[in-house]
Amino acid sequence: MAKPMSATAPAVSPADPRPAVPTSAGITEFSRHRGEGAAALQQRLHAAAALARAELPDRVRHLWRYTDPVRLLPRRLLAPAPQDVVLDAPAVGPVVLVAPGQTPRLSAAATACGITVAPLFADADAAEFYGQAVPATAGYFEALNGAAWNLGLSVRIPRGRHLAEPLRVLIPAPAGGDLLPRLLIVVEESASLTVVEEHYGGGAGGLVLGATEILAGADAEVRHALVQRWADGQVGHLIQRAHLARDARFVGATVSLGGDLAKLDLGAVLAGEGARSEIVGVTLPRQRQHLDHHTLHRHTAGRTWSNIDFKAAVSDRARSAYTGLIRIEKNAPGSEAYQENRNLLLGEQARADTIPELEILTDEVSCSHGATVAPVDPEQIHYLRSRGLPPEAALYLIVRGFVESVLAQTPDGVREELDALITARLAGLRRAE
Amino acid sequence: MTTERVRELNLDYEQKYGFADPEAFLHKSPKGLSHETVEMISRFKAEPDWMREFRHRALDTFLAKPLPHWGNQELLGAIDFADIHYYVRSTEESVNDWDDVPENIKRTFTRLGIPAAEQKFLAGVTAQYDSEVVYHSIRKDLEAMGVVFTDMDSGLAKHADVVRRYWASVIPPDDNKFAALNSAVWSGGSFIYVPRGVKVEIPLQAYFRINTQNMGQFERTLIIADEGASVHYIEGCTAPVYTTNSLHAAVVELIALPGARIRYTTIQNWSNNVYNLVTKRAHAHRDAVVEWVDGNLGSKLTMKYPAIYLLGERAHGEVLSIAYAGTGQHQDAGAKMIHAAPNTSSRIISKSISKDAGRAGYRGMIKVQRDCPGCRTSVECDALLIGSAARTDTYPTMEIAENDVRVEHEARVSKLGDEQLFYLQSRGLSADQARLMIVNGFIEPFVRELPMEYAVEMNRLIELEMEGSVG
Repeated sequence: MAKPMSATAPAVSPADPRPAVPTSAGITEFSRHRGEGAAALQQRLHAAAALARAELPDRVRHLWRYTDPVRLLPRRLLAPAPQDVVLDAPAVGPVVLVAPGQTPRLSAAATACGITVAPLFADADAAEFYGQAVPATAGYFEALNGAAWNLGLSVRIPRGRHLAEPLRVLIPAPAGGDLLPRLLIVVEESASLTVVEEHYGGGAGGLVLGATEILAGADAEVRHALVQRWADGQVGHLIQRAHLARDARFVGATVSLGGDLAKLDLGAVLAGEGARSEIVGVTLPRQRQHLDHHTLHRHTAGRTWSNIDFKAAVSDRARSAYTGLIRIEKNAPGSEAYQENRNLLLGEQARADTIPELEILTDEVSCSHGATVAPVDPEQIHYLRSRGLPPEAALYLIVRGFVESVLAQTPDGVREELDALITARLAGLRRAE
Repeated sequence: MTTERVRELNLDYEQKYGFADPEAFLHKSPKGLSHETVEMISRFKAEPDWMREFRHRALDTFLAKPLPHWGNQELLGAIDFADIHYYVRSTEESVNDWDDVPENIKRTFTRLGIPAAEQKFLAGVTAQYDSEVVYHSIRKDLEAMGVVFTDMDSGLAKHADVVRRYWASVIPPDDNKFAALNSAVWSGGSFIYVPRGVKVEIPLQAYFRINTQNMGQFERTLIIADEGASVHYIEGCTAPVYTTNSLHAAVVELIALPGARIRYTTIQNWSNNVYNLVTKRAHAHRDAVVEWVDGNLGSKLTMKYPAIYLLGERAHGEVLSIAYAGTGQHQDAGAKMIHAAPNTSSRIISKSISKDAGRAGYRGMIKVQRDCPGCRTSVECDALLIGSAARTDTYPTMEIAENDVRVEHEARVSKLGDEQLFYLQSRGLSADQARLMIVNGFIEPFVRELPMEYAVEMNRLIELEMEGSVG
């Protein structure tokens, strides 16, 4: 007798919600139309093949437990990036400005230090690094972006060079179209660079599916600030992965505020001995926003160190979902990994879900994590009010204090700006409460 | 590395528990599962129609439900449901005089120390051998107070109303594939009813033994503590060391009515060829307290997440668990707390030891439902790793839909540290003594919660495994 089989026929599945996988001819035409060379086309075809094999993410897996991937699907692939974007001039001096149809603009200091900023694959070396941190085979959305990205940028700073000013990448979402941006940031051996990747704009009907690859060479130092301040109604999914060689240092700071539905998948692979990674993040969902964040620290080499500090303060009827995974592989002895996820519930109908996971495959480690969910401590409010502060000012101070540890870890040169963004949002909170 | 010399826990399992009686059964169902098997079991037990129909419906659910697609897919996928005996009966009936237990079975339980334990400190004992309970007894004074402690089949026959009222009310058959399987082919287990206000001060005990090769044990336990009552139930499990695998898929339902208190202690020490896939869940009503004290030392794969649904105001739940995984073992243990009423509180303490190529972990769920203010919950996970191939996982899930709560989760992973060993050795302890002291300290919060006799046994077991680990 065979193993018992399902007694009932599989339920008739509703129409597959996935967009049709583009044909080779379609991709070739799309790539040619964009003026791409053979290397780019080859990568797109490789990703399309992976896409044809990929299933939609399994909702049973914790990574997708709280967000329906169907809500993040584009209507069709291989559409050119819409050009109707509004450039939102940044508050402090930009070094580089990128948007669909815009030419990157470099400062004199940037040009002097030998940094190259070019459309992805315009620089022939891109092929050497492309797909190492976000391979198309990693999953459905990785393959989707790999096959059909319609805005690409590569940034590269040569060995031993340093750029003090933050490099600013602006990615305004078009109103009502699909944008699939792809960034490749290469920081060569012993070089250092700060990149601010800023997503804004968009609105109802808009979708952004982004992928950012960061490759840090031996002893390199990379600071990456990811700012997500889409307009109401926008939907988006961003993947950011850093790949760290020996003794490389990475700081990833995320401020995630906008959109109706956003899922950000942030992570670093500590692949070289002595690599260090720190991921900090703050999200402040309000009204009916659904903001989902994932962090990954994967240690594949020994004597590596990582830390995560992720904070969510949730207002109104909004929802924050956080999932985090620390994985220490067998061949990574002497590693240390820490993770903290704190959630502050400001609204009576607010909701916070958290799954901080550990997978430890060797014993020579030090590893811990903690997670909390709680409302604002009424005693703290009482204390501040007894010092003469009005209730909303007291609340503001407490939430500001809550996110302070994250702000303190954000890169120099962008901290004030991120602070201003958060302060503006908290001012809104003050009125809402 | 000195720490690699720590010996396997249960190294003497073969001598202590691994013996097998010759298989002497009155009835053994053919291998495989079908409606005929279910019909046969039910008719054999002369069950009421509602139970027979319940079994058949559950079998349909089992057949339709996929295996979980999380957890250890490799081990789960290796289960061959067609290669299992779903019902093995070795005696005519359950008896309540030890002298009446058949000689071969008596020998087994005597070797396991059951009669001695009963005389020493238990208020009642049930012993289950393969599919059926072969012996049970309860102290006369408890019986006089109306306490019911019997095997589940007798419970169904003699207390039909109570059983039918609460049966599958906590764990419906469609909860998961293994609960469905149990619902279809269950046999044996304990039924306990403690009347209003009665406090059973001394633990009741059940001992589960699988003897037959390729056997599935599917006991079903239902414990009801009426308002203000309290009871402590302990179960132990062992099996012979066969070369083929056995399956243990129990369902345990606890109902703590307002103000009641139930503590359920398990020392699971199945041999390393047993799949232990168990569903345990409790309902805690207003002001009730439920505690799961859960020790997982044996089995090949354990998937067990004792759950407490806090259904009434001020109910409190606790899970205290310890898991030990040596090479060839995966302890996928954990706990769930569902806060479904205001001002409920819970605490989970999970400790695991992964040694050599062993894998142990914590998988948990904390849920606070909307409009349940004033809830407090804390989770603490501690993992100890011994050996570079050891693995530990922590998969906690917290879903909080209420803002007036305190939810705390903490986890730590550490190796049995050379520094600690060095420190203790510098104080004059031998390497053995030092390791034993560290491991003892690690499991102490668990051992402290066991009745004295169990605590002594637990400490002795650990001591045995740790001694002589340096040549």
